[in-house]
Amino acid sequence: MAGGSLKRCALEGKIIVITSGKGGVGKTTATASIGAALALEGKQVAVVDMDIGLRNLDVVMGLENRIVFNIVDAVKGKCKIKQAAIKDRRIENLYLIPASQSDNKDILNPEAMVRFCKELRKEFDYVLLDCPAGIERGFENSVAPADEAVVICTPEISSVRDADRVIGLLYARSITPKLIVNRIVPEMVEKGDMLSHEDVVEVLSIELLGLVEMDSQVIISTNTGVPLVLQKESSAGQAFRRIAMRLNGQKNLPIEIPQSSKSFWKRVGQKIGIGK
Amino acid sequence: MLNGWLKKLVGKSDSKNVAKKRLQFALIYDKLEVSDEVLIKLHQDIVDVISRYFEIDKETLKLDIRKSEGKSALVVNTPILSAKRPF
Repeated sequence: MAGGSLKRCALEGKIIVITSGKGGVGKTTATASIGAALALEGKQVAVVDMDIGLRNLDVVMGLENRIVFNIVDAVKGKCKIKQAAIKDRRIENLYLIPASQSDNKDILNPEAMVRFCKELRKEFDYVLLDCPAGIERGFENSVAPADEAVVICTPEISSVRDADRVIGLLYARSITPKLIVNRIVPEMVEKGDMLSHEDVVEVLSIELLGLVEMDSQVIISTNTGVPLVLQKESSAGQAFRRIAMRLNGQKNLPIEIPQSSKSFWKRVGQKIGIGK
Repeated sequence: MLNGWLKKLVGKSDSKNVAKKRLQFALIYDKLEVSDEVLIKLHQDIVDVISRYFEIDKETLKLDIRKSEGKSALVVNTPILSAKRPF
């Protein structure tokens, strides 16, 4: 861990799991972005990659070259939490605990995770667990220590169906999750070719935490490893910042609905079949 | 052709409504799915309860879940050998 020691928090931190059931809907990007945004709010934040064997949170955050120890080492007591937590160079107070790449999910178990997170609570205000896809061991390990859950889905049948299943599993563990609808394409919603966030919320009937527009900046940010939330022109990055503020207690912050940015005449042109 | 052009003019498509209906049905079906383990337990419990009132052939009792669009029914079929009379 470069530069100084972790500040001790007066109160115990919160453990939040970010999950979806289906893979590829944006869990890792959401975890990295919400974690970065909470740190920008001045909180001590740890983001934890729970995808043992298929780690990716490290590359998304641009910290892949700095891994020495990982979560398995820390849980097994082979290193201290401080040694496994990689300090982000760009954002103050943000730490990554990477997954191990050589083990599989069975190396950890829910009880060990509960114990490990109890230690993390003492050091951080927020601990975000980036849950792997699926509802097997990796999911169990990520959900067991969680106080709160954020379910992320895209406006597609397959993603919403899996989100529904995961929401059921979370309720069974007495966790009331909140929803992020990711990758909304406003133009398609307007045309009636994409489920609107209202449709998704109606089907899943859970509290909405935020809406994130489809944004090419996400790919650019992943390419470079520069945090999305630092890119002022990124609508997704700004959406994640508002989501983080809402998670951090600003309950009244309104949820912004992604709007199509096309000009009136371009839209008319599209309707009568000129242009794309 | 004209139809498609008109649709473009109105600018509305209904593929999301198709998606929403399919999604709602899929979720209903998903929730109706019962594992074999549960069915075997249920089978045993039903045999026990019916046996309190009727003499039945335990081997021939049939239990299954019939699905039709949007609805699902539990069907129990058993021949009754005789009624048990309270003494």
